[in-house]
Amino acid sequence: MDMVKSEKLKYEYTFETAIDEEEREPLVALKGVDITIEKGMFVAILGRNGSGKSTFAKHLNALLTPTEGTLFVNGYDCTQEELIYKIRKSAGMVFQNPDNQLVSTIVEEDIAFGPENLCIESSEIRKRVDRALKTVNMTEYARYAPNKLSGGQKQRIAIAGILAMEPECIVLDEPTAMLDPEGRKEVIDTVMELNKEKGITIILITHYMEEAIKADKIFVMDGGTVIMEGTPKEVFSQVEKLKGIGLDVPQVTEVAYRLRKRGIDIPQDILSIEEMVCTICQLKSKI
Amino acid sequence: MLRDITLGQYYPSDSRVHHLDPRLKIILTLAYIVSLFFVKDYWGYVYCAVILGLVIHISRVPAKFVFKGIKALIVILIFTAVLNIFSYPDGTALAHVGLFTITIEGIQIAIKMCIRLILLVSGASILTLTTSPIQLTDAIERILNPFKKAGLPSHEIAMMMSIALRFIPTLMDETDKIIKAQQARGADFETGNLLQRAKSLIPILIPLFISAFRRADELAMAMEARCYGISTERTRMNELALGQEDFRAIGAAVLYGAIFVAVRLFL
Repeated sequence: MDMVKSEKLKYEYTFETAIDEEEREPLVALKGVDITIEKGMFVAILGRNGSGKSTFAKHLNALLTPTEGTLFVNGYDCTQEELIYKIRKSAGMVFQNPDNQLVSTIVEEDIAFGPENLCIESSEIRKRVDRALKTVNMTEYARYAPNKLSGGQKQRIAIAGILAMEPECIVLDEPTAMLDPEGRKEVIDTVMELNKEKGITIILITHYMEEAIKADKIFVMDGGTVIMEGTPKEVFSQVEKLKGIGLDVPQVTEVAYRLRKRGIDIPQDILSIEEMVCTICQLKSKI
Repeated sequence: MLRDITLGQYYPSDSRVHHLDPRLKIILTLAYIVSLFFVKDYWGYVYCAVILGLVIHISRVPAKFVFKGIKALIVILIFTAVLNIFSYPDGTALAHVGLFTITIEGIQIAIKMCIRLILLVSGASILTLTTSPIQLTDAIERILNPFKKAGLPSHEIAMMMSIALRFIPTLMDETDKIIKAQQARGADFETGNLLQRAKSLIPILIPLFISAFRRADELAMAMEARCYGISTERTRMNELALGQEDFRAIGAAVLYGAIFVAVRLFL
């Protein structure tokens, strides 16, 4: 079964309460999105601001319901009001600002918030909280106040809070946008580990190309539709198309692209520094 | 830095008072405060003070923290004293000040009122010194729970209190940032008369309010995403349960009350 399956998904933001007559025009954020994500995958969704990627992410957690089209998350129909909580239980969501998603003044109490909402038994919550803390390597911070932690640590706590609800899928909406490089690495490493070791489906919304390299599959969105999809190699080899919609490619791919332009025969789908080093060494030995 | 301000006045320690059930602590504190209003003579106050001292000793909170609360009270104390001194013109007159008469009874009443206030405030600070804000909100929620049927939103009240507590440091940080940003652009918060200074606060308050609303919006979404509101009943990770130590405290409190009543009735 697919974790996510959307067909011709459309969404309009309405502003019926706007004071200014002209501002009441609805804004079409999604213009028919078809995305299928298999269980256990690590998927990245790329796109510039306003491309509709965050709107799509909010649909996965039933925070928004489709205006038109269909969306199934873990087999549940997102247009059915009574399935909302089943959807939210199967797909947890981590937001951009770590400060605005932590509820409690104590780390472990915050992680317990989700399971408490699900009416899980006290002793079981305790176990889940300890497990979640261990998974994100934050056990020694269990009794800390969140405002004493760094951005990366706070974001890991937010992930632990979702983990304690034991979802099958975690949607991360630009989780690293407000973090420093160190925090960014912490968060991405944690997410990768969850995907590889626990088999949790990861949907990472980002505009950092380096984070998308490790994904199994990439979707690129622009203007409310999916304009490219494929493996990182397939997507990033189309350098011009990506640049055309205002996105960057990973640095190494950029170097390869420029080398090709200068007439050096080098594959276009190089993503990592190691690959680059290998290719250049081979080239050198040929000369 | 603004963020170093401690929240409430919780004094972390490992004492027996700290480990008591917060619900019990609230109820016992209320009982103690009520008992203060039944005291008639100085000996009664001595009794209450000794008991309070004992509790402070067991709680291992340094006495100066308890008295800090009284310092803040000094204006009210003086006000109460002055008011009471002049309110009993019918006793043995000591002096006449303009229209007012100072009497021995008036002075006695004033002293008693002040002692009562001091004992009351120090008793209440023992509660807040030994109980963290989060424990307090938790306890208030559970104490108010029986009134849920009468339509009292006890859980929502507690939730609001704990979210407020959670965001105070965050908003303080933010205020700090806004002040610095405005200062960097030449804003002046230090000079001018009261009105000018109040006016100069506007460029701080408006951005702060806007950001607070934005945060509230995002937090609400994050809470919904974590299934908040799935049902009216929630379970808790840490259920409160009365332990042996709590029963000992109840025993001690009953003894305190019994001696109190006995002395009042038979002496």
